Amino acid sequence: MSNSGTSLKTYALTRLALVVPMVLILLTLVFLLMRVAPGDPISAALGGHVPASVINQIRHQVGFDKPLYVQYGDYLWDIVRGNFGTTITDRRPVSSIIVENGGATLELTIAAGLVAITIGVVVGLLAGRYRDTWVDVGGRMFGIVAYAMPVFFLGFLAQLFFGVYLGWLPVSGQASPITQAFLPVHTHILFIDAIWARNWAALWDITRHLILPAMTLGIVIGGIFIRLVRVNVIRSLKDDYVEAARARGIGERSVVYHHAFRNALVPVVTVVGLQMALLLGGAILTEETFNWPGIGQTLVKYLENRDYVGVQGIIVVFALIVVFFSLVIDFVNAFIDPRIRY
Amino acid sequence: MAAVGAAARSSRRGFGSRLRKLWSPIAETQGLARVMLVAGAVITFFFVVLALFGRWIAPYGFSQYQAGGHRFPQLAPPSGAHLMGTTVESDDVLSRIVWGAQTELKVVVLALVFSLMLGVPLGLLSGYFGGVWDRGLVLVMDAFFAFPPLLLAIVIAFLLGSTVSSSVVTAAIAITVVYVPQYFRVVRNHVISLREETYVEAARALGARPFRIIHKYVFFNVVQNVPVIATLNAADAILLLAALGFLGYGVQPTEAAEWGYDVQRALSDATTGIWWTGLFPGLAIVILVTGITLLGEGLNETINPVLRKRRVVKVVFPGKGTGRVE
Amino acid sequence: MKGKWRFLVASAGLAAAALVAVTAATARTSASSAIIVDGTTDTVTNIDPAGNYDFGTKAVDFMIFERLLDSGPGKSLAPHPSLATKCASVGSLKTWSCTLRKGVKFSNGDAFTSADVKFSFDRSIKIADPSGISSLFANLKSVTTDGDYSVIFHLKNPEATWPNILTTPAAQIVDHNVYPADKLQPSTSEQVGTGPYVLSTYTPGQQAVLKPNPSYWGPKPANGGVIINYYTKSSTMKLALEKGEIDMAFETFTPTEIVSLQKEKGIKVHQGRAASIRYFVMDTNRAPTNNIAVRKAIAYLMPRQTIASRVYHGQVVPLYSMVAAGLPGHIDAFASMYGTNPSKAKAAAVLRAAGVKTPVTGQVWYTPSHYGDASADEYAEIQRALNGSGLFKVSLKTAEWAQYVRTLGTTKGLFQMGWFPDYVDAENYLLPFYPKGQFLENGYTSTKMNALAVKEQGAATVKARLAVVKQMQVLAAKDVPIVPVWQGNMIVVSRSNVQGIDKTLDPTFTMRFNLLSKS
Repeated sequence: MSNSGTSLKTYALTRLALVVPMVLILLTLVFLLMRVAPGDPISAALGGHVPASVINQIRHQVGFDKPLYVQYGDYLWDIVRGNFGTTITDRRPVSSIIVENGGATLELTIAAGLVAITIGVVVGLLAGRYRDTWVDVGGRMFGIVAYAMPVFFLGFLAQLFFGVYLGWLPVSGQASPITQAFLPVHTHILFIDAIWARNWAALWDITRHLILPAMTLGIVIGGIFIRLVRVNVIRSLKDDYVEAARARGIGERSVVYHHAFRNALVPVVTVVGLQMALLLGGAILTEETFNWPGIGQTLVKYLENRDYVGVQGIIVVFALIVVFFSLVIDFVNAFIDPRIRY
Repeated sequence: MAAVGAAARSSRRGFGSRLRKLWSPIAETQGLARVMLVAGAVITFFFVVLALFGRWIAPYGFSQYQAGGHRFPQLAPPSGAHLMGTTVESDDVLSRIVWGAQTELKVVVLALVFSLMLGVPLGLLSGYFGGVWDRGLVLVMDAFFAFPPLLLAIVIAFLLGSTVSSSVVTAAIAITVVYVPQYFRVVRNHVISLREETYVEAARALGARPFRIIHKYVFFNVVQNVPVIATLNAADAILLLAALGFLGYGVQPTEAAEWGYDVQRALSDATTGIWWTGLFPGLAIVILVTGITLLGEGLNETINPVLRKRRVVKVVFPGKGTGRVE
Repeated sequence: MKGKWRFLVASAGLAAAALVAVTAATARTSASSAIIVDGTTDTVTNIDPAGNYDFGTKAVDFMIFERLLDSGPGKSLAPHPSLATKCASVGSLKTWSCTLRKGVKFSNGDAFTSADVKFSFDRSIKIADPSGISSLFANLKSVTTDGDYSVIFHLKNPEATWPNILTTPAAQIVDHNVYPADKLQPSTSEQVGTGPYVLSTYTPGQQAVLKPNPSYWGPKPANGGVIINYYTKSSTMKLALEKGEIDMAFETFTPTEIVSLQKEKGIKVHQGRAASIRYFVMDTNRAPTNNIAVRKAIAYLMPRQTIASRVYHGQVVPLYSMVAAGLPGHIDAFASMYGTNPSKAKAAAVLRAAGVKTPVTGQVWYTPSHYGDASADEYAEIQRALNGSGLFKVSLKTAEWAQYVRTLGTTKGLFQMGWFPDYVDAENYLLPFYPKGQFLENGYTSTKMNALAVKEQGAATVKARLAVVKQMQVLAAKDVPIVPVWQGNMIVVSRSNVQGIDKTLDPTFTMRFNLLSKS
């Protein structure tokens, strides 16, 4: 695959073309997974004193009595038009679930991502620069232990310490009930909505609620970033051009700062994209621990209630988001580094 | 002829020398890498011992609530009789930690075996033969890879939970599905790069059958990657299993003790000031995963040439006639 | 470089310190004093009355919709007037006529008339939503109106307790101008009822905000509004209550959490006798429980006291009949037949007499969260009691509620169930479980029980009816397809400044927010 000198446009087209089969496979996978489940998904989602005639009625409504290939066709066609289904247990269209709860998850993942990047970059840089000193050892150990902590355990300790013993921060929800009840909702990202409404007290309340969950998830993910940034720093410090700079007599400090650090950060972009999947998974656990009303918590609820339509819809959206993000990351990388293009 | 002969000679020289070759980077480590390796190995070994000999180490069974005719106290703080206290069901926490080690390792080893059985052969065959099957398999594996791991594991566990009777096996399968794409990808990439090596080309040109080539040249090379990945995956797998247990999709409490599930049960205890039911299982997870990660990182440092720091050995020029070609 | 670093670190430290200080200072948000914030771990299915049959939704619905008759609060459990001023049978017990209250308006200004009543019942039956409660109307043939303020119910069979049906969430009245006749109104769309509150906003899974209804015909609520906050874990709800983020919590804390809350300053745990029960069902068609001796042995071994004290710390009481204690007609049938305490000897004797080989093996099922997290502990105790006697060797199996409930009798031989009454009358604790049409699918049929059921429903006087009720309980204990285990209390935890909770603690298990106030 040594096609040198490919233009960005060609790369973009090739990459986009690859997205289609990938998305198709993902969607098919989800479809099959949901149908492979033993038992009737409809009577699984509803239960109790339900006569068979009613179950059949619902099956007909949801389309589960059609032949499999017809269901598959409908399913794909619906997704193309943006219809991800309506849940069986509480009749919410999945698209409105994504919009309403997605805002909360977005708020959490962005805040956690910022924390993770800050921790990862700062500690990783220091560890790589001062390799094999106590700074390095400390930084690496922090990274390893941070990642070894289950998010829910760290969250629970944080709740106990900051919420119960010290009593400084709230431990659940996006905002206190009263604030949430009276804040007009536009984007479903409460942080932005509070700014939109110029309600500074609400903004403060929302920020306080955001601190613990974002720190918890951010620290755990930051643990991985530390390792990756550190390796990159070490690698770039060994690079030829750095050697050349040293040979030219440029001071070590300048070498490190201007050359090695800057270039070590480039792969961080890739890393961020790769961690998207981890962030989404971590968000599920964080949301469960902090009663954060995001998509992760909603998914867990539909899983427990065996709401196949809800589960299927949410998973499809998750998968599409990840594909989209990896596409963006690849573009950004190709833009920065021409060597990567096909 | 010469290439085949040399290869034949090396295989006849045998297992011992190959093992020595594998071990040498480890023996040469120094400084931090060595410390990490040793520390990680010690911690991991400790938990493995707990897992293997749990029956004799644990003071009580994992759901044992009484002994000698009288019941254990409920939610008792750590004391002489119960070093880590008791749970809300009057189970001894220390015993549950020990039995939990067995559960974690059982599931992870099972998942590792499944993943290797699936990922390595698929990667070997796909990488070596290429073609349409390879392309298709790569797409499918990438699709699985794109899923957030926890999500995929939950869905698999949720789907299999009602058919597979053993929740240990269910959890192992869920974890396998998450990690097979990684093994597949690594093995396949390595095989592809090896495929172009001169000695492999030579063997092909000489008419050696594909499976013989794979067995002789490719397999052992590729397998060298596995321990590092397996170690780092094992750490991840334990976190994944604990997460599944926390959400209720992992190993069911009626089957075995599991640390993640214990933390979840302990959440409500914590707000009443009862810290021992949650702290110990949580710490167990952290320490074990840290140990395995240290082991993996240490191994990585030794094997990965970019990061490797060798001990400087004085060069001894061989005398005439010893002619060893490495 | 070094200087830059130092500056950065210093300013970061200062910022952090400032953040912490401000946070600590404003640790309590100021709440509007008239609004009550309630926390719950219950969930809402569909707010449309035709689409729900669960507690979480009842808490919201009972405040925005109303029924023709009401039960409670307090001791007045017999149905009394609400939207109807009078309801009586006409001729036989197959026809019931209700006179409606005049001058009632829906929250959107529409007038309340008999058309709304007929519409509400008709649509509930027509939609027949599986999550709904229309099964309670199985006996209803048709509803006719007689002018704007009179409604007549024509039943298929005589039913003395029809007025009780009119107090249930099934019989809530909706505005016929707003609700579709053949499908459910989405929960986030406008909800219009005649109740003391209006649903101002509903964010699924997060909050329901209730504001007082300005055109309500009855007494104004004692507070300025209610916010119901939904939690997935009781531990976060407990912390929220302790920090004052919520004023009260109704449903559900674990027993350990309640014990801890009882000891805390500023928090009060209110307990009232409730009519919710838990019981143990056995399949009468499948081994080993198809042998009545095995069922009797389990009845002899049921560790009610251990469960009540160890698992629930006294928040529940042992139950000796499927009919809840405190209701007219209740008798401790199981205590009379099997004793109040577990007896290994008697269990062994009954098994020996029937020639059953011990230990008897089997699988006991329970569901880990639907009936509270303590279910795991409760069933561990039951397993211990059975296995500990040496007569049984049972293993435990679990399934989450949605899957659990769909295969009740078909895969499970011994399983946990719970019951919250639709209406507070002994018959609601017998008819759903024993006679023809029982929903447990455990294979139990008895011509004698069926006959008693018919006799009970058609009984002319209360005295006659209760006599039949007692006979049914005795037969239930004799045939023992089900073993009652415990009866729970209605528990509400609030901060000390909330008043009025004790007024709404009664067996109907209804949270009447309109009676609460905050000082």
